[in-house]
Amino acid sequence: MTNLTNTISKKNKHFSMNVFILVLAIIGAVLPLIWDNPYTMQILILIFLYAAAAGAWNIIGGYAGQVSLGHVAFFGLGAYTTALLYNFFGISPWIGMILGGILAAVVAGLISYPCFRLRGPFFTLATLAFAEVLRLLSIWARPLTGGQVGVTILFNPGFKNFQFFGKTPYYYIALILMFLVLIVSIWIERSKFGYYLTALKEDHDASEALGINTAKYKLYAIAISGFLTGLCGAFYTQLLLFIEPLSVFTSHLSNQFAMIAVVGGAGTAVGPILGSVIITPLNELLRGALGGDFQGLNFVIFGAILILVVTFMPNGLVGFFKDMKAKINHRSESK
Amino acid sequence: MLEAKKICKHFEGLKAVNDVSFTIEKGEILGLIGPNGAGKTTIFNMIAAVFPLTSGEIYFNGKLISNLKKPSDVCKAGIGRTFQVVKPFGGMTVLENVMVGAFNVTNSVSEATEKAMKAMDQVGLLRRKDMLAKNLTVSDRKRLEVARALATEPQLLLLDEVMAGLNPTEVEEIIPLIRKIRDDGITIFMIEHIMASMMALSDRILVLHHGEKLAEGTPAEVTSNEKVIEAYLGGKH
Ligand SMILES: Nc1ncnc2c1ncn2[C@@H]1O[C@H](COP(=O)(O)OP(=O)(O)OP(=O)(O)O)[C@@H](O)[C@H]1O
Ligand SMILES: [Mg+2]
Repeated sequence: MTNLTNTISKKNKHFSMNVFILVLAIIGAVLPLIWDNPYTMQILILIFLYAAAAGAWNIIGGYAGQVSLGHVAFFGLGAYTTALLYNFFGISPWIGMILGGILAAVVAGLISYPCFRLRGPFFTLATLAFAEVLRLLSIWARPLTGGQVGVTILFNPGFKNFQFFGKTPYYYIALILMFLVLIVSIWIERSKFGYYLTALKEDHDASEALGINTAKYKLYAIAISGFLTGLCGAFYTQLLLFIEPLSVFTSHLSNQFAMIAVVGGAGTAVGPILGSVIITPLNELLRGALGGDFQGLNFVIFGAILILVVTFMPNGLVGFFKDMKAKINHRSESK
Repeated sequence: MLEAKKICKHFEGLKAVNDVSFTIEKGEILGLIGPNGAGKTTIFNMIAAVFPLTSGEIYFNGKLISNLKKPSDVCKAGIGRTFQVVKPFGGMTVLENVMVGAFNVTNSVSEATEKAMKAMDQVGLLRRKDMLAKNLTVSDRKRLEVARALATEPQLLLLDEVMAGLNPTEVEEIIPLIRKIRDDGITIFMIEHIMASMMALSDRILVLHHGEKLAEGTPAEVTSNEKVIEAYLGGKH
């Protein structure tokens, strides 16, 4: 009996999530048909892109609880790989995107693995330092990267070149990217892998004692996270057709990925999407309102938001909604 | 089943475990007693590869295991353990906690759920299955430790003071439970301070004192051993 109700409620839980995804997908797919305003399209594209990147961060930072503050390194690797392969060798950015993702995954694994065998904040520090090293490298390797000046993608629109005149194709690609990350996250949540990541976040020693090779599973998580972040970087290159160290290797982006996930709900599949819906437009608004001086003030405002969220909604928006739902259920039950 | 040969663990001069040898026979319950700080938990940690040995060797089913680097390797070899200071995954439900253990032997979520239900039933935790582990009482946390380790389907189970902190009624409940685990074919090596339950459960008892083996034998032999009475029981009273 308890067994039966258990499986049914499990099915229901998955069912409502599946419906939610389907509704989101339908809304996403038809939105451009009824509301084709270039400015809103641009904002929506950025919301999807940051939701995807924050979702990628969430795999290692949220589920596995290994906080990275250098994810822009993987973003930048994806961006530069795509741009340089196209400019130098004429390799289609679609292929460049995949190769950039793979490179990001391999590099993510290589820098993280030694840290995963140590305790303490080594991983966070290593990611932070590594992103800075890559930024400096991208400035220094001028013949290849153009240094501070950056790389302009040779303009030659067409599907093969991942370049389009209107915003709509970018919109759909960003939407698919976001859904890719969402689906990977949901797969993780529902599989042994997800249970293991949560367990090793909760208690390292207990996890090992129960047969979890913690270093191995963290490695898988950072590689998947790095790959998806690399894809996001590649998309960014094609969206703007111009990249520079300041835009794709800035620590500001690392913080933003982490912050979006935390505000929305770290360790949940939809958290990064909710977070992006709130934070991304706010970020664009501030950028518009404050102009060139925005960097400093921007930090103050987002720092304040982060403190408020961590204090009053430690599990982000998703946690907040869950609590609300539990309270309402509790009330209707006690009636 | 398990054989420890002259194992030593020194912590910067402190000889926590010194030159201890013992064997565990398949199907028995071997008790490990000794005053606080005698080195009991350290022996568990040595078997479980929490840290490398200073010297000595440990064999499990004839294979050297003291060269294994990670505790997870030892678990995979077939040795489960509980922690004296319990380590629940606080943010997960009881069911999810035990499922993590069950994933040691399956990749399927539904199979892990089934195995977890069985292990929770064995220790009497089924009615708490949807509770967050951080909200459990002390005695239920101890049960959770046992259930999780059981779910990994070990051949040998190391129980570190699972009765500590329980009231006499709860101790009465847990004794048959441990006996049942053994009757299901799992060999048990357990640390306990409560002599009465040790006497009731153990086939043999190993006495540790200042990191050294003081005595070994049936409960009757050990409690009548003069060295034990003097150093351990005598020292306590
Ligand atoms: N990781 C460690 N580093 C340094 N010293 C340690 C470590 N682990 C244990 N010790 C020391 O080794 C000695 C034996 O500790 P151990 O935990 O094995 O005792 P125990 O017999 O389990 O005692 P109790 O009955 O209190 O649990 C103690 O003096 C302890 O302080
Ligand atoms: Mg101990």
